[in-house]
Amino acid sequence: MNARILPVAAALTLLALPRALSAQVDRLAGRVDDRTRAAVTAIVDSARASGVPATPLINKALEGASKGASGDRIATAVRALAGDLGAARSALGGAATEPELVAGAAALRAGAEPAYLARLRSTYPRESLVVPLAVTADLVARGVPADTATQTVLTLMHEGVQDADLVAFRQSVERDVALGAPAGGTAAALAGAVVGGQSLPTQPGPAATRPRKP
Amino acid sequence: MTTAGSGEDLLIARVSEELRRPVEASPGFDARVMAAVRRAPPPLPARVWAWLREPRALAVSPLGGFAAAAVVAALLVAGTWVVVRTTRAPGEMGEAAAPAARGASSVVTFVLVAPRARTVALAGDFDGWDRTRLPMRRGVSGLWTLDVPLAPGRYQYAFVVDGRQFVADPSAPRAVGDDFGAPNSVVTVSGDAPRGAGGSL
Repeated sequence: MNARILPVAAALTLLALPRALSAQVDRLAGRVDDRTRAAVTAIVDSARASGVPATPLINKALEGASKGASGDRIATAVRALAGDLGAARSALGGAATEPELVAGAAALRAGAEPAYLARLRSTYPRESLVVPLAVTADLVARGVPADTATQTVLTLMHEGVQDADLVAFRQSVERDVALGAPAGGTAAALAGAVVGGQSLPTQPGPAATRPRKP
Repeated sequence: MTTAGSGEDLLIARVSEELRRPVEASPGFDARVMAAVRRAPPPLPARVWAWLREPRALAVSPLGGFAAAAVVAALLVAGTWVVVRTTRAPGEMGEAAAPAARGASSVVTFVLVAPRARTVALAGDFDGWDRTRLPMRRGVSGLWTLDVPLAPGRYQYAFVVDGRQFVADPSAPRAVGDDFGAPNSVVTVSGDAPRGAGGSL
């Protein structure tokens, strides 16, 4: 495409977009070149048609721009995220909130199955699944096998464990893994301890601002 | 047997009497003992403590002074980056704080120890990955902090050191995947109603 035509095409595309989406795409102004902006806008527009929110996609493009990535790489990353968000929406349903979709997409990218997301939603149709999905993704990122992570989170939720305790559970797993324990075994053992009635250490409170070693 | 027994009793009585007799020291004995005690060196811990407390002058050449200063400076700047995040309720923000986001339910304190950094900023999903919008405040020993009010959700972020280098939070969960060659960290903010137990597995 001719370099002179690109700004005109991008402007026309913006004019044709809904106002909310246009406001999101406007955030790309001055951050990416016109060609990348047009490509991202097309992806976002297409994703929105299937119920995928625009904000996470624009954020991904802005992340790439901030890190100096090429336009092609930015478009590839945005497209991949759109796919994950779309899969998360399919699994979690049309009523899923944007934070749930973001967390669900992260869980899927980590290796969780769409059926896991669907099971969570069907079991807890009215509760927010942001933290359970985020903890699932974090556990897998820490080395816990995906099936162990999903089963562990399901078990803890079945026991009525609240969001703060799920986060504390994740922190306990991270701590033990950092000390050399195998990730999968640690997660299962700690979950067994919770189910058995033992409490996990809580998060540091406001006063606990001491530096931690990485 | 009786006569022999009486003789033994008499001997024992005399020995006993001799042993009970007080020993008379020669004149000046006490003074000589005390003088010897005073001449004896004090125990080692007492000597060390006295040496430490005694003021003394140190002679250092300029070169030696520069070397000592360099060692101290090296110790200060050789620390690794350490990051702390704590979550607080809104209204408990410190001096270095970002504007409250819409729907923010928690204040997350981001802390980075980067003694050699000239500037540190926070960039993430919550600020459009702007490298300058959320500058962190430098404290003692290269401790950079920033309070950011966040709405419930899962956010990716990284620290921007000296305006160009993206540094992941080593104490936070790492985001899965690395789209742009610089890994991100993740912070999850919960602010939802309690969840009930149950459900079928």
